[in-house]
Amino acid sequence: MNERDEALKELLKRAAGGPTDRALKRDLWPEMRQRLERPPVRVPWWDWALAAALLLCLLLFPATIPAVLYLL
Amino acid sequence: MTGTVEAELEQFTRGEIQAFETLFRGYQGEVYGWIVRIVRDPGAAEDLTLETFWRIYRARARFDPRRPFGAWARRIATNLALEHLSRRRAERPFDDGLPVRPATTPTFDPATGADLRAKVVAAFGELPAKLRAAATLAMIEETPYAEIAEALGISINGVKSRVFRAVRLLRRCLEKRGVRP
Repeated sequence: MNERDEALKELLKRAAGGPTDRALKRDLWPEMRQRLERPPVRVPWWDWALAAALLLCLLLFPATIPAVLYLL
Repeated sequence: MTGTVEAELEQFTRGEIQAFETLFRGYQGEVYGWIVRIVRDPGAAEDLTLETFWRIYRARARFDPRRPFGAWARRIATNLALEHLSRRRAERPFDDGLPVRPATTPTFDPATGADLRAKVVAAFGELPAKLRAAATLAMIEETPYAEIAEALGISINGVKSRVFRAVRLLRRCLEKRGVRP
């Protein structure tokens, strides 16, 4: 780094207030445990059926794609 | 000792919560410490630490217990931190990533400094996430290039190049704002 770069580095460091405090202040395990115990999100079967029907419709009638995109 | 660690990692890859908890407790500080250096926001760093371990847990079957867990975790954490910076830049283009907090180094003179700091912060916020992360780690946090390279998954020359580009871009952004460092 040249002198100008050093000056810029100094400016940046002063704007940032120096290095961050890197110490973790609390134990995050309880939150992680909660997340692990949360039941996975289940998508109802009719949502899949609807998505499949829409896909089929788009494949069979590609002219409807702009209309679908417009409605989205 | 190494055998114990490897056995624990084996158990983790099989999905044993106890082994995962041991790893979590052993590495949460290190992962958080790395993320907070990049995002410089303790709240976001905590969320990203949890997300990192969540991804680690979901990808456990792909982990090779003979490889270092810390390096793997750091790589995932870095990618998440970069995603966070990109998102924040898109949502709040003039946000800084340099939050106001108790300074550990001398700050600007309050009479003239607020405006200058605002300009530096706005200019820094304009940098793309990858350049910003490299510049933050190298120039503010003074992290060794080799460490940055390992976490970003690039060569040391790659890091130097990103820092160089960040400096050049930052200077241009500052000059636009009438600051000539």
